Amino acid sequence: MPDVSVTIDGTQINVPVGTNVVDAARLAGVAVPVFCYHPKMKPVGMCRMCLVEVYTPKVDPATRQVVMGEDGKPVLALMMNKLQTGCTTPISEGMVVNTASDRVKFAQKGVLEFLLTSHPLDCPVCDKGGECPLQNLTMQWGPDSSRFDYEDKIHFEKPIPLGDLILLDRERCILCSRCVRFEDELADDNVLGFGSRGRSWEIISKSTPAFDSKFSGNTTDICPVGALTSSDFRFKARVWELKSTPSVCNLCPVGCNTSLDMRYNELMRVMPRENDAVNEIWVCDKGRYGHRYAVQENRLTTPLIKRNGEFVSATWEQAYSLIAERLGSYSGAQVAGLAGPKLPNEDLFSFARLFRENLGSNNLDHRPGSPADLPLDDLPRTYGVGKGTNLMTLGKGTAVLVIGADPEEEAPLYQLRLRAIAQRGGDLTVVSGYPTKLERSATRKVRVKPGTEAQFALALVQAVAAEKLASEEVLGSGRLKFSDEYRRVLAAHKFDDLVAATGLAREVVITTAKAFASAEHGIIVYGRSAAADPAIPQALAAFAALTGKLGKANSGLIALRPGGNFRGALDMGVRPDAAGQPGLSAQQVWQQAGTGVKAVYIAALNPAAENPAAAQALQKLDFVVVQDLFLTETAQYADVVLPAAAVIEREGTFTNAERREQRFRQARQAPANLPADWQSFQAVAQLLAERAPVAVAARTLKKGAKVFTPEAPQGWTAMLTSDVNDMVTRSVSGYNAASYSALSTSRGAWGRQPNEAVYYDGTSYENTEGVGIQIAASAEDSRTTLQLNLSAPALRPVGELVLLPVARAYDGGDWVRGSKLSARQVPAHIIMSVADTARLDVGIGELVTVSSAAGSITLPVQIETGLDLGVALLPEVRGSTLGALLTGAQTAITVVKA
Amino acid sequence: MALRDIHGAEIDTLLARYAQRRSAVLPLLYIAQDTYGHLTDDAVREVAEIIGMPATDVFEVVGFYSLYYTKPMGKWVLQVCDDVPCCFCGAEELITALEQALGLRAHGETTRDGMFTLERVKCVAACNKAPVLQANLDYIYNLTADKADELLNELRRRADSGEQLSVSGRAATV
Ligand code: SF4
Ligand code: SF4
Ligand code: FES
Ligand code: FES
Repeated sequence: MPDVSVTIDGTQINVPVGTNVVDAARLAGVAVPVFCYHPKMKPVGMCRMCLVEVYTPKVDPATRQVVMGEDGKPVLALMMNKLQTGCTTPISEGMVVNTASDRVKFAQKGVLEFLLTSHPLDCPVCDKGGECPLQNLTMQWGPDSSRFDYEDKIHFEKPIPLGDLILLDRERCILCSRCVRFEDELADDNVLGFGSRGRSWEIISKSTPAFDSKFSGNTTDICPVGALTSSDFRFKARVWELKSTPSVCNLCPVGCNTSLDMRYNELMRVMPRENDAVNEIWVCDKGRYGHRYAVQENRLTTPLIKRNGEFVSATWEQAYSLIAERLGSYSGAQVAGLAGPKLPNEDLFSFARLFRENLGSNNLDHRPGSPADLPLDDLPRTYGVGKGTNLMTLGKGTAVLVIGADPEEEAPLYQLRLRAIAQRGGDLTVVSGYPTKLERSATRKVRVKPGTEAQFALALVQAVAAEKLASEEVLGSGRLKFSDEYRRVLAAHKFDDLVAATGLAREVVITTAKAFASAEHGIIVYGRSAAADPAIPQALAAFAALTGKLGKANSGLIALRPGGNFRGALDMGVRPDAAGQPGLSAQQVWQQAGTGVKAVYIAALNPAAENPAAAQALQKLDFVVVQDLFLTETAQYADVVLPAAAVIEREGTFTNAERREQRFRQARQAPANLPADWQSFQAVAQLLAERAPVAVAARTLKKGAKVFTPEAPQGWTAMLTSDVNDMVTRSVSGYNAASYSALSTSRGAWGRQPNEAVYYDGTSYENTEGVGIQIAASAEDSRTTLQLNLSAPALRPVGELVLLPVARAYDGGDWVRGSKLSARQVPAHIIMSVADTARLDVGIGELVTVSSAAGSITLPVQIETGLDLGVALLPEVRGSTLGALLTGAQTAITVVKA
Repeated sequence: MALRDIHGAEIDTLLARYAQRRSAVLPLLYIAQDTYGHLTDDAVREVAEIIGMPATDVFEVVGFYSLYYTKPMGKWVLQVCDDVPCCFCGAEELITALEQALGLRAHGETTRDGMFTLERVKCVAACNKAPVLQANLDYIYNLTADKADELLNELRRRADSGEQLSVSGRAATV
């Protein structure tokens, strides 16, 4: 955008066309006080706090020429002959702005005096006190006394709940509408509004449940007064007593930067920390309210060993030696390790080493081994969005294709980030077989027949050839290699047949393909439904590669999979396929329990909770170690249970869906000085190395490791988490630049400008911990050849109904313990179409028995009006026991009224 | 009985009249108000459901306009103008007379028999015939205090006669 030159309080600067006066002033280092304006939202000019004097060059109406004065400079005229609201006034060439004249000061004082007429001034008992724009602006710009009668203040009943998370104090509200606009514009949840009028004007929420938004906590941050408070933090502490520790949320693969606000060892609140490339200044409610599990009383604090069917407390030495002794007594093939994708990289790395080096086992997985597990998919390592990707900078010129994903449920912040790209002029296509919230924000909402995302993706690949959309540059580079299977699949699936299967008009596919191919940046986001059939990621990778959307910033794939650090698990090698000789997947481990597999070490996973088969398999094993925070369903089957420090009690790193590695710090002392998970892995490894140093050394010399380069076995000498990180940087490909010091000093495009507190007080924290380092996609190296492959779409099972599992943010997982969100977790249920429920004569909440070839379960019904006949959705929530039902990516089921 | 069952045809005509369904929110609220006597929480949600609007948005509309009532109202809503011209011509005396006759105060209170609600309003744009009272949609001009009883009797008679009364603008004609 071209720049125009303006003068603000005597400073001349160039700012892009379209910038408003408040933002322009900020660039010039001048703070214009604001209440209703927020740089993330459209200005509305409601509070009048930003009044300034704006002069524009006088134009002669006859000649349309700027009138020149005697001094040879343009003659200036006060715009509209009165003060203007800076937030709604766009700058123009030659504008002169005065933010500190007597007139302006008089107006600012007046606005503040007026706002304070109906403000209770109960700062001593207000949560916002200390980080309140109203306090701060009154300090700096306000009057020292008021001409209004104190007794005349308007009074309302003190806080009323807007929902179960947020309370509203109507006396404090200055009616700036930031909260309403955040929910409407950014979150697309029309759940807040203004009730009544005049002096009774107030914020209301009438959704069911009230204030039904997964982003509601953000409104308490951006509320410029203490009108909105969080039930999680109210009256708990004064903000100046809090010490904030930089952290990273690991509840989904967005990896939002957070600040853990601590008073001594107590977690008082979780706040967003600014990182434009990840979460901007937001977090979802799960991230804000979902980290209380760590401070629950019923945490495990000592190792437990099962003796005669009862758990008895043991010392760490006893537990470690028993584990080393028992695990060491089996061959590598007989042991398996499962470590959850929420663990930090250091732990996953150490776990993989323990198994590959010390136990000689490649039976490693980060999935729970349920039939609902997604197939492994590491295509984003090659075709993922490139280094330097920053969704916040994207708009016009960017095409985003979201397919088989429900971003709000799978990785909530993507709902905000992708919607914002569309609002900034980007082209957003949402392809789904069932209704998702993001499709409401789409440029192109594409509803395929449920379960035909694979056909759609293949049709896109076909469209590239048919419409000549391939990038000359990529084709010309000779980097693309096509497997025989690729050609065979393309030949076997004609464009028209594919399109017919999806139930769409062929134009829809072609327009989508063209929009993507012709855009400067192209991003493909795929989620749970897409990843269930490996044919889909393959076709998407091929489509991205052919259209040249690879190997560069802001182009490529983003996979959303379960687990906040699933990307780290793949990179650190907690997967069966990483080394030369493939090991057993978690599902195979359960199948071979008691026969091939004798012992399993499970960390931060709870497979028995959702999968009856896993619970049975656990009983067939000789030896089970479970390492977790709580005595979980799975831990009940363990021979040894090891407690561990929670994320907030140690430091480490996570890698997010865009392969940005980010560092988090220790905020709290762990109860009983519990070790971090990696420390236990190391302790066991050390004992194993002592037992059989030679054998271990021999086993580590494996050739052909794809991802993982083993280190010498003696290398179990880490004292600090940073020592483990050192090893990661030395041995995991791509991570060499991501040392702790580099992570902590990384600075991105973000950066607070002078006086930003005027906007952001209470909003989020300045990012003192660095913004993380993105790991390059391998396609960025122009020497890599890109082997493209395709597979035939999974066959649609024949049956009365097809069952598709869908992800839910509020999944009732272990993170819910102690959370204010526990009431929002829904019990297991099945979602069916209007037609199918009518046929079965079942209403909302009534029970049905769902049966497949694998088993049957009884669940209450929900009805979704937007759903096609013949499809049922099964949300993956605690208690859904999906594992008992699924037979593949799609499962044929019959449903009868129970 | 739900609104759809009683007024289905009228609702469909209204919805068909506008390019966007949400444009029909005002007339649909009037229908709900007439059907249920006032706009209960459920009634507002029912309208939201019919139009497909977020409930909160419909509540915003209800709160904004003074002619949507969220508490039970009398069959006749009496709005006495107490603005300056009417005041000069005896509005306060009229209000006192009505308050005494009905045994309530003009703060939007309703008689026990549910016949009258009495409230004060600002200028209703008929100052040349002050003092003015608006009974539902009817304007009563030059209503001095001495005519209060007579008016109340007349309004009671009309209500008892089975005449279709409406506290909403739905029955308004232009
Ligand atoms: S509650 Fe806060 S954010 Fe919402 S309108 Fe009131 S002052 Fe503004
Ligand atoms: S979007 Fe994901 S990473 Fe961010 S706060 Fe929510 S759960 Fe945590
Ligand atoms: S009017 Fe500009 S900040 Fe409110
Ligand atoms: S003042 Fe009463 S009608 Fe105008």
